[in-house]
Amino acid sequence: MNGSPPLWPLALYAAGVLALVAFMIGASHVLGQRHRERVTHVPYESGIPPVGTARLRLAARYYLLAILFVVFDLEAVLLMGWAVAARETGWAGFAAALVFVLLLLVALAYLWRSGALEAGPSRGRRRDRARDAGAR
Amino acid sequence: MPPTIPSLAPEAMAETVRRSVLVARLQDLLAWGRKNSMWPYGFGLSCCFVEMATSLTSKFDIARFGAEVIRGSPRQADVMIVAGTVFRKMAPIVRELYEQMMEPRWVISMGSCANSGGMYDIYSVVQGVDKFMPVDVYIPGCPPRPDAFMEGLLLLRNAVGSERRPLSWVVGPQGAYRLELPAQREAKRVARQRVTTLARPDAVSAAEAEAPPAPPSTAVTAPRVTVAPPRAGEAPDPIAALQEALGAETVQVQATCDGIPTAWVSAARVADALQLLKSGLPAPYRMLYDLSAIDERWRRNRADQPPSDFTLVYQLLSLERNAYVRVKVALTGEHPTAPSIARLWPNANVYEREVWDMFGVGFDGHPCLRRILMPEGWVGHPLRKEHPARATEMEPYRLPDDLFDEALERLRFKPEAWGLKRGRDGTDFMFLNIGPQHPGTHGVLRLIVQLDGEEIVDVVPDIGFHHRGAEKMAERQSWHTFIPYTDRIEYLGGVMNNLPYLLAVEKLAGIEVPPRAQTIRVMLCELFRLASHLVWYGTFAQDVGALSPVFYMFTDRERIFGITEAITGGRMHPSWFRIGGVAADLPRGWDRMLREFLRTMPQRLAEYDRLVMRNRIFQARTRGVGDYTRDEAIDWGVTGPGLRACGLAWDARRRMPYSGYEQFDFEIPTGTHGDAYDRAVVRVAEMRQSLRILEQCLAWMPEGAYTSSHPHATPPVRERMLHDIETLITHFLSVSWGPVIPAGEAFVGIEATKGNNGYYLISDDGTGAYRARIRTPSFPHVLMVPHIARGWMVADLLAILGSIDFVLSDVDR
Repeated sequence: MNGSPPLWPLALYAAGVLALVAFMIGASHVLGQRHRERVTHVPYESGIPPVGTARLRLAARYYLLAILFVVFDLEAVLLMGWAVAARETGWAGFAAALVFVLLLLVALAYLWRSGALEAGPSRGRRRDRARDAGAR
Repeated sequence: MPPTIPSLAPEAMAETVRRSVLVARLQDLLAWGRKNSMWPYGFGLSCCFVEMATSLTSKFDIARFGAEVIRGSPRQADVMIVAGTVFRKMAPIVRELYEQMMEPRWVISMGSCANSGGMYDIYSVVQGVDKFMPVDVYIPGCPPRPDAFMEGLLLLRNAVGSERRPLSWVVGPQGAYRLELPAQREAKRVARQRVTTLARPDAVSAAEAEAPPAPPSTAVTAPRVTVAPPRAGEAPDPIAALQEALGAETVQVQATCDGIPTAWVSAARVADALQLLKSGLPAPYRMLYDLSAIDERWRRNRADQPPSDFTLVYQLLSLERNAYVRVKVALTGEHPTAPSIARLWPNANVYEREVWDMFGVGFDGHPCLRRILMPEGWVGHPLRKEHPARATEMEPYRLPDDLFDEALERLRFKPEAWGLKRGRDGTDFMFLNIGPQHPGTHGVLRLIVQLDGEEIVDVVPDIGFHHRGAEKMAERQSWHTFIPYTDRIEYLGGVMNNLPYLLAVEKLAGIEVPPRAQTIRVMLCELFRLASHLVWYGTFAQDVGALSPVFYMFTDRERIFGITEAITGGRMHPSWFRIGGVAADLPRGWDRMLREFLRTMPQRLAEYDRLVMRNRIFQARTRGVGDYTRDEAIDWGVTGPGLRACGLAWDARRRMPYSGYEQFDFEIPTGTHGDAYDRAVVRVAEMRQSLRILEQCLAWMPEGAYTSSHPHATPPVRERMLHDIETLITHFLSVSWGPVIPAGEAFVGIEATKGNNGYYLISDDGTGAYRARIRTPSFPHVLMVPHIARGWMVADLLAILGSIDFVLSDVDR
């Protein structure tokens, strides 16, 4: 490597992007007609004024789903790092990665079994259980 | 209020253009762009919306004009089509949606109701949407045909293409400049005057019309199978049982001309009497079929009945006996009360609310006695005799800002007022409004859904946005002129709505309908059942994500309309049945059209099975969803396909035959699980049975008169008129006032498209009904939704709504 590539094309590109975006937002802000009547800026909810806010405390199972998503995303990040260095780390590295994946799989199986991944309607679940019980 | 749009004379317009050639060019470009990319708002109020939706489908194909991008939100739409009746309860919402649209925005008023109130000069209807909103184009018609809608859209496009609008909201004067729109009536006058040969509305070819009438067919008599309705053996007389249990002197019997056993009991004992009929008899009357009231204060002919100011009428149905029983309670005073029977039947809760709302009769012990059809804050109870009927007898409707704010605040849902919690176990519930303006509710129905995440904790239905005051209208119209209003009760069922009304009138007047008229009626009813089921089929598939089937099904519906138009001259609301028969004989060539339809339709249905019913996604969305048991269905007063999907083969055409249905050979399809899928299976199977009935109509159409010669039949026979002055006067009176139907009461219920539809008519020896109670199937079906939907997800709610198949005018009347 003899010297880093020049930075000015990148700067030019960035300036171009900024200018274009500023033009688009600015022009659409200025152009056209506007009106502001009594309920123009009220959120649309099938024509009825809404109740409460959209910032709700949701049930914990949504948090659980979100955190599971994050866990398996992070797993991909870690495995990616290992994949880059797979030849250098050799069999020992492979074994470590395998243990890591297996641990996650065991955790996933546990969650699955304990019903943490179920997001369907409770009414349907109740009926399915009743049907299962009947089958037994 | 929004600013009125100034208009310029052509010379001034030209001046504006000359001022700046460059700007004018740019504005031309913009106007051209606006003109060719109009996005309509998917906004519908009533019948007209169905015709507007039809314009999207293949025969009409509005995509030709670049206007097929129907938007679900006012923020994205350019043109709002006010399609249908503007109700007082709905008007503030219409204005809110208009205000939420972005610039530029246009309004088309579609149909007579939106233009001026149309035939609904009634307390609940605003006499024209332009009372509180600017309108660009008016489309006449009731409903306007899809072609008329498209012409209206083209007129608006042309106007938009010549408009001048400011380029920016910060520069220069605001407001749009446009050419004056000429009235189309003036523009087309000369051309219309020149027309001498009118187009045949019936699509019967010219050759057929010119041909001599075919000789009467020989195979016209003795149809077919006569299937006797099953009988309940030796079930004890309900009135005798009541007299035995409550004491003979406390139960008064009333003779009615419909043969339904009718007993008067005291308010104190009504719950006991109903409990006995519900569960204390062999073959009990398990279904609360209807509950309503009569304002007796102005009634003259009721000498055989106990004195009463307001009478409550409880009508029960026994599915084993195939029979009704009626229990009446006399109440005295201006605002009397009666004990609530909400603990006996779950649907009694909503029926009692309706009686309170319409009559001001209270119910002691009712859990939540509040208005159900009229908006909160309404003064008076509309079905009381002193309440004005016409909108034009009341103050004109206005919507100034303060009333607008007040109306919106009343609409805002207050969970505490309904006893709903705002959260549990540290999580908050979301209260979501689904409707009145929502594509999934198939009309102006509002469901307030209490959600834990995506799961439905509870649902509060809010109805009455489609209340057109049909029962009050019946008290004002003559017996004959009420017929068009019945068409619009269940606006997908067309003439099938005429039938229960006319059967009840004919029962009161003692009119025998000739066999040919009966068979024509059956044939048209089954055609409309098919048309209605096709709309349900397509929209239900659309509700659960299959977007294309609806286009195929509307195409078939158009083919049915081709036949009904040839016969009746009308599409959605032909109003073609008459007291004593039908309006005209069948046109030549009807059999060819029907035969052609019957030849192709089975293949189409087979194709739809592959397209929808066997579709795995469709099955996953509907199987097991929204199920209820047979007992729940009976408790809630469910009739029609919703009842048969639970495995109960109860069809009024078979169990209580009317209009000659006992002579037809058809089966009653049933389901087993009572879920959304089975309801669909039942309807699809029913369509095949309708085709079978139509084949029999085609094969055995009887000869003879198409209307009765009874003096009360309408319109009166012309041959009887021109003999002397007496016959002329009689004819004139029968045309202008219509027949005077003898005093009495009669109820007739039929198997309509959505379930059992019935008319309970009371004549006070007058030229119109003293009271007309319209029992519609969709009312209990929709108010049962909370019971079905609890515990399911929001997405399932739409599958449940689609599978119920309701029409809002059938809920609110």
